[in-house]
Amino acid sequence: MVHALSEIRRVLVPDGILIDLRPILNHWPIEVASASEIHETGRMLDFPPGLADDHAANQSMADAEHKGWFIREQEQFFPFFYSWDSPSELEGWIAGEWHDFIGLDDRTKQETRSVWASADADARVRVKVKMLITRWKVAKES
Amino acid sequence: MTVQKDTERTETKHLHKFADFTQKRVLEIGCGEGRLTWQYAKQAHSTTGVDLDADALRVATIDRPSDLEGRAYFSRAKSEELPFSKETFDRAVLSWSL
Repeated sequence: MVHALSEIRRVLVPDGILIDLRPILNHWPIEVASASEIHETGRMLDFPPGLADDHAANQSMADAEHKGWFIREQEQFFPFFYSWDSPSELEGWIAGEWHDFIGLDDRTKQETRSVWASADADARVRVKVKMLITRWKVAKES
Repeated sequence: MTVQKDTERTETKHLHKFADFTQKRVLEIGCGEGRLTWQYAKQAHSTTGVDLDADALRVATIDRPSDLEGRAYFSRAKSEELPFSKETFDRAVLSWSL
């Protein structure tokens, strides 16, 4: 990752800007949401490989800052929503796309199915992903 | 299976809050199928998306709006070996890829 940051710095102009935009594991909430109501039904389980990936990414940016390649200018967390028509679609997505780094326990699955079954007809199931966005400025060569 | 992403458009709002893309030469690393690319490419002078997933890049190329032909490019490349000259871009976006 540090090699990639070195390459990015090389191809950016001296006053160039790097935007780092990525999800951060944080036991993302699962919600059943309709126009009239939002009900949190549980939280994701964070698995070690995903946590290790986040740590490695954070460490790479810290290394790049320490080496004087980039200057951190602005940083913020914000929510990003993934949304499905039903709990089974959410479970299928996790099994197919996210199984390496997050999971759902049986209790949360049951609660999500139960709440969705009794919710309004327009209710969808969504995951509130924690996102990090950071603005980095290319540091002047010393 | 139908998944919808960024239903509240928070990502787009924050991206534009953090960077001005107007008439900038932009490199996006990890562009995938171009989901994020289309949120800023029309403002940019030019956009180059790189990814290792050739299938995703094909989708991005097919989905490219006609008014971005000649201004939005996609290339299969590793972020550790970017096939571009020094100081080619004004902005770089690490798109879910660090």
